[in-house]
Amino acid sequence: MAESSDLDRQIEQLKKCEIIKEAEVKALCAKAREILIEESNVQRVDSPVTVCGDIHGQFYDLKELFKVGGDVPETNYLFMGDFVDRGFYSVETFLLLLALKVRYPDRITLIRGNHESRQITQVYGFYDECLRKYGSITVWRYCTEIFDYLSLSAIIDGKIFCVHGGLSPSIQTLDQIRTIDRKQEVPHDGPMCDLLWSDPEDTQGWGVSPRGAGYLFGSDVVAQFNSANDIDMICRAHQCGNVAAILELNEHLQRDFTIFEAAPQESRGIPSKKPQADYFL
Amino acid sequence: MAASDSTTDDSLYPIAVLIDELKNEDVQLRLNSIKKLSTIALALGIERTRSELIPFLTETIYDEDEVLLALAEQLGTFTPLVGGPEYVHCLLPPLESLATVEETVVRDKAVESLRNIASQHSPADLEEHFVPLVQRLASGDWFTSRTSACGLFSVCYPRVSPAIKAELRNHFRSLCQDDTPMARRSAASKLGEFAKVVEIEYLKSDLIPMFVILAQDEQDSVRLLAVEACVSIAALLQQEDVEQLVMPTLRQCASDQSWRVRYMVADKFTDLQKAVGPEITKTDLVPAFQVLLKDIEAEVRAAAADKVRDFCQNLDQFNQESIIMTNILPIVKELVADPNQHVKSALASVIMGLSPILGKHNTIEHLLPLFLSQLRDECPEVRLNIISNLECVNEVIGIQQLSQSLLPAIVELAEDSKWRVRLAIIEYMPLLAGQLGVEFFDEKLNSLCMTWLVDHVYAIREAATLNLKKLVEKFGPEWAQNTVIPKVLAMSRDQNYLHRMTCLFCINVLAEVCGPEITTKVMLPTVLTMATDNVANVRFNVAKTFQRIGPFLEPSAVQTQVKPILDKLNTDSDVDVKYFASEAIAGIAVIFSFDYVNVSA
Repeated sequence: MAESSDLDRQIEQLKKCEIIKEAEVKALCAKAREILIEESNVQRVDSPVTVCGDIHGQFYDLKELFKVGGDVPETNYLFMGDFVDRGFYSVETFLLLLALKVRYPDRITLIRGNHESRQITQVYGFYDECLRKYGSITVWRYCTEIFDYLSLSAIIDGKIFCVHGGLSPSIQTLDQIRTIDRKQEVPHDGPMCDLLWSDPEDTQGWGVSPRGAGYLFGSDVVAQFNSANDIDMICRAHQCGNVAAILELNEHLQRDFTIFEAAPQESRGIPSKKPQADYFL
Repeated sequence: MAASDSTTDDSLYPIAVLIDELKNEDVQLRLNSIKKLSTIALALGIERTRSELIPFLTETIYDEDEVLLALAEQLGTFTPLVGGPEYVHCLLPPLESLATVEETVVRDKAVESLRNIASQHSPADLEEHFVPLVQRLASGDWFTSRTSACGLFSVCYPRVSPAIKAELRNHFRSLCQDDTPMARRSAASKLGEFAKVVEIEYLKSDLIPMFVILAQDEQDSVRLLAVEACVSIAALLQQEDVEQLVMPTLRQCASDQSWRVRYMVADKFTDLQKAVGPEITKTDLVPAFQVLLKDIEAEVRAAAADKVRDFCQNLDQFNQESIIMTNILPIVKELVADPNQHVKSALASVIMGLSPILGKHNTIEHLLPLFLSQLRDECPEVRLNIISNLECVNEVIGIQQLSQSLLPAIVELAEDSKWRVRLAIIEYMPLLAGQLGVEFFDEKLNSLCMTWLVDHVYAIREAATLNLKKLVEKFGPEWAQNTVIPKVLAMSRDQNYLHRMTCLFCINVLAEVCGPEITTKVMLPTVLTMATDNVANVRFNVAKTFQRIGPFLEPSAVQTQVKPILDKLNTDSDVDVKYFASEAIAGIAVIFSFDYVNVSA
């Protein structure tokens, strides 16, 4: 139990928004890899579970999310990617989620977002943050290596398909996702890229995405995919606005959608949150 | 310097190192050495400290700011090390140089140290060494030395001869009219403390004209400092002198064109009130306060609103109520609907304090309607400030009246869409419960408390759980068994696993306050049935609950009922259930060490 008490200490530390040592990050990532490598590209998740969207390094909003949704391990969680970039606390946010994953692998599921990538994190903040907080890019290396092991999607009770971006014209069945070799940097195109980059659109069929990666997909595409795979619903993130929301699914897959505000300014550490530019990424 | 001599004696070797480090190239090493300066001085003895160390330090003044700051601080406590008060003046040369450097932090520290050692000078030394230093600084070429000088007048003035006093006053007057705003700011900020030590006739003839000039300075940063001096000066004068010499200036500050000056007046308002006394307060400050409360700048209104209670509290008993009712309250009523939320919030944080001053009748008639509208304000902070101050109103009008008028609003807030507002209401429940009594509580508030247990937001469910415990502490286990526990136990059959777990969390805290009998006979059976829940999270929380309530269970029940279930959970297919079951088994074994070991052996 020495190992789990050590891990519990690191979790407590990260919950206070304090970083852990570089050597501890290395050990944590090694353990995480052992767990993540076993997961499927369409990871099976059982209800009840609470589904959450982009966190983007907003550590205090993650804390707020746990206040609203409940703590791990009491509440089961599925986080749909984009843990890092933009916010000031990508390091603490990702490492806390990863430490919880290692401590309670059955209670929390993490899937990959388009920001879990070497290229994107060098532009949108995670790379710089690691360099600033650790004085070298070693921790960024450890984390981006782990990104390659994160699952691409999840399916809750075989009925609710969860993915960061959306669908791909090269994918008709879940089995096709299962055959992707995901242990790589997010490619510029192809099915793996589309899952992380696409957006739904109020049209029919497929369209060109203004993001320059992935596609726009219409309601007929969704209906087709749902019936081909016998699923009820697709759940995705990728386009969150200024409010946070969580979707609580109970064991009968009844949905309870809770929208809440970002953490109040006074509960945050310095630096305070500045309004984020509305990027399309 | 002394380094080479000291090395001959081994015991002085560490000191020699420190002294060498004083001259080292590395800033950090010099800094360390400066911080141990007293050790060096002690080793050198008072004579060599005076003749060698202090002159050496006076020369090093051209060092990094960090080192200088440490030096300025150290020298303030150096008197014993140079031979006591008799020789304290030998510390003046290095401190004088430090008081002229460019970096403000260093200068301020040097002035602080100079102020410290001024009192250690004999009157003769003060005139011979300290005053000339003040005069040199006051007529220095650079504003840096002149700003430093301002802080030194009040510490030497009381103990020097009348002739020198006159010189000092003249120097201070010229600093008040300095060319640079930096020096004028410094003079304005020290005007108050200097006024306190100057004889009253000179205060009137020399300093008050300066105060008037500073209060009309072209820079608002100077004018606002004059407001602070105003408090000190007014406190020193007789009523009629205040009226004649200070009030015209104060009136002018209160309507200054710069909002920062008006803000300062609002911020110091209660201090001013105390300084000018009740009569001038009535004739002058009350109208000024009214104007500030209506200021066009929200910052000024907020600062004034923040003073409403204290200002009213300090009004003369004789006409307190009439002034509040006719002059203040009408404006307060307008502020309740101010467009700026900081103003409303500042007002909400103090407004309840008017209740004890105005008494029951006025509170019910005039204040309650305001509280009600604030409780419904769109800004959560306003609502929160009102809720958290209900207590003082309660003391005035009684809980019955309070609950009748405010209860509907409280119930509304209990269902507020912002969870932090709901949270604030929950935290107020035990207090309300204690004052309302069981019957009233059961009738009006109990169902609210139970609804919070199944709130959407975990933080609310958690607070509601704790609230339940506090209520049982107030109303007793029997009340718990009749009113609360049945509803809690029913939650064990809820559709949602989060609510089933809330049932367990309630049992965790209720066991402590309900005692072994109720815990074992009434609550334990439910926990036992939950061990077969379909959701693993519920099952491992059953294990956690066993560990938590173990000490409050009858020992026999632990053996016959809890242990078999824990053993079963310990072989569960879920890793986390197994983990928490084994933790619980170990935890319970510690509590019931003897029996449990026997049984399991």
